[in-house]
Amino acid sequence: MLARVRHRGARGAGGGEPSSTTLAPTRATGSCRLASGDPDSTGLGRARPPRRPARRFALGAVLGLAFLLAATTPAGAQGGDAAAGKGVYQKKCALCHGEKGDGKGPAADLLVPKPRDFTTGIYKIRTTATKVPTDQDLFKIITEGMPGTSMPPWAVLPEKERWNLVAYLKTFAPEKFKEAPKKLELPKDVASSPESLKRGKEMFEAIECNKCHGADGRADGPSRPELKDEWGHPIAPANLTKAWTFRGGATRVDIATRLANGMLGTPMPTFIDSVEKPEDIWHLTNYILSLGPGAVKYATLVTVTAASGAIPDDPNAEVWKTIAPSHIPLMGQVIVDPRNFNPSIDMVSVRAVYNDQEIAFHLTWDDPTQSVEDAVKKMYADAISLQFPPKITADTERPYFFMGDGSDAVYLLRWVGGTGVGEAAANGPTKIAPIAGGEATGKAVWANGQYRVVMKRPLAGKDAARPTFQPAVFAPVAFQAWDGGAGETGTKMSLTSWYYLRLEEPQTNRRFVLPPIVAILTLAAMLLVVRVASRTGAR
Amino acid sequence: MRKAFGLFMTLTLVAGTALFLARPAPVGAQGGGTIEATVTYAGAPVVEKLKVNKDTEKCSTEALIEKVVVGAGKGLANAVVSVAGAKGTPTGRKASIDQKGCKFVPHVVAMTTGELEIKNSDDILHNVHTYSTANPSINKAQPKFKKTMTEKFEKPEIIKLTCDVHSWMLGWIAVMPHPFFGVTDGVGAAKIENVPPGKHTVEVWHETLGKATKEVEVKAGQTTKVAIEMKK
Repeated sequence: MLARVRHRGARGAGGGEPSSTTLAPTRATGSCRLASGDPDSTGLGRARPPRRPARRFALGAVLGLAFLLAATTPAGAQGGDAAAGKGVYQKKCALCHGEKGDGKGPAADLLVPKPRDFTTGIYKIRTTATKVPTDQDLFKIITEGMPGTSMPPWAVLPEKERWNLVAYLKTFAPEKFKEAPKKLELPKDVASSPESLKRGKEMFEAIECNKCHGADGRADGPSRPELKDEWGHPIAPANLTKAWTFRGGATRVDIATRLANGMLGTPMPTFIDSVEKPEDIWHLTNYILSLGPGAVKYATLVTVTAASGAIPDDPNAEVWKTIAPSHIPLMGQVIVDPRNFNPSIDMVSVRAVYNDQEIAFHLTWDDPTQSVEDAVKKMYADAISLQFPPKITADTERPYFFMGDGSDAVYLLRWVGGTGVGEAAANGPTKIAPIAGGEATGKAVWANGQYRVVMKRPLAGKDAARPTFQPAVFAPVAFQAWDGGAGETGTKMSLTSWYYLRLEEPQTNRRFVLPPIVAILTLAAMLLVVRVASRTGAR
Repeated sequence: MRKAFGLFMTLTLVAGTALFLARPAPVGAQGGGTIEATVTYAGAPVVEKLKVNKDTEKCSTEALIEKVVVGAGKGLANAVVSVAGAKGTPTGRKASIDQKGCKFVPHVVAMTTGELEIKNSDDILHNVHTYSTANPSINKAQPKFKKTMTEKFEKPEIIKLTCDVHSWMLGWIAVMPHPFFGVTDGVGAAKIENVPPGKHTVEVWHETLGKATKEVEVKAGQTTKVAIEMKK
């Protein structure tokens, strides 16, 4: 979990295209080192000061050579020291990847996807037409980590150490790395356009990406439960609407490369020879990027929009589309047993509205299966809950964020698949009691790997167990979610700590009425003054 | 000009067909013998069933994973019978395997090193995913519009073939270093022709039951029968 938190932070700061910014200087230093290092090591420059032209020529030659090396084999130019890399590996990598590089470190059991087994030489992310990645590919993964996995970015390590690691990783599968890498040639780039997106969609359907990735790309395809990696571990297809979780990066080149090249050790096949025309790779890339927002900005505050008139129950009602969602990241619950190290639900998008009677929450989250309770298959009901303190005042002390504790209860407004919307009081994750006589209502729909749920209740709580919502008062709110299809139930959940909810000040018509009245009154007063003054002046 | 060309083509075709029909029987010509192997298995067939949740028009609603297929007279199907350690040149014939009804047909294809034609008769996406060590593993998408593709297998080895879209699909590619092999049919029979005379070891490989061997002596122009029983 820690890795994941860290990772998000780094990505957020890094922005959209970290690859181009971090990689360029690397190559430069690599070639420089070669240029200055080589003469030193041979001692040519020391024995007798050579004449200038010769020196200049030598320098030129070395520089030229270095440039050539950098240009033809960018991978070989950096030349890390495997022996030095071993020390770093044992300190930083062995915990997950194992001392022997077989992916069986002490932490491996807790991780999904499993850490890479370096002894096979099989790597998901590569930019080569050959079977193993370039040094640059490995360096990029070490530096940037793998979004959506437990692999954090190791940019904190000095660059030299990262190159040493690259060299050391290769020693786990020396046979595989004997072959010189050959760069994958992508077809000529085609920029995104309405025509390109149309063609991309056509191809998406023709090559049946939906089989694994789902019709809308939310990783809910029918083959999802069958997918296994090279080692027989279950593996989930990418959620194409969340580009920020793409393992090998989310730039257009990254995506086109994955499509063309496939991902070794996974079910993702190569498509370079399996599209109708080579440029379809780019149409598909453009289309895939159009399936989601590209990047995500997480919220810290949920604003509840003031509305007049009735609030619809229907999660697909037009009004919900007019409200900008607040994206809230969720984490796996790892405080009490059973823990959830690999949560299925990583984000919920919240829209909220209130009128003079009611408050309503519209929640959207991805869940690949609409599951029904089936204890034999270890399937449980899908569920989501919003958590509030039972009493909301300006100086409310927040209860323990993880569903309260013995002394301070929390109020839960929740939806459970098959049961519907209800209210509950909790004094901890295992002490949840429904509150009788609830007035909460709502509706849920599930389509193509996504839930949309509306939960409504009166603004005023009718007893001490239920909070009353007031405009302009910050209300603490937290979220919990369960993907029953992934075996999540009880404390196996995704959750957040406290966030804040704020009801927008009601916008009445007074702002349209009052200023004109004031203006008219002022004008009248001025006219009165003028009239009085002129009368006095006339006398 | 066109007429002349047409005539030439016709003549060539006729001549070719005549030559083909009149070609000498290979056994006699090369002085080899024939091995007729019967592979049996006393145990029960092993067939797993899986409910299919997609492409049911093509794949039917229930998939059969046939791990051990036993026919009449306990004959074991889908076993590769070969002459161990034999030497010979590749046949040069292109072997072929089809993906039909979400199954690999045949279930086991045996071939000499070289090219394999992989067909997709299903009009849906399959992905050809091999698990090999000597040859490079492949994982190539074969969408509905790509009816055939050709893959090269340069090194002898037995390769597992799967499709990730339809996880029950399982096939085997037996790449042999010589042309002396056969795959048993529904009653466990396989025939190997043109085997050089002499003492040989016949080797049987089966995906679930493993390997077994038996010594045989092959005489020129004669058929040697060999019965091999596979045990768990």
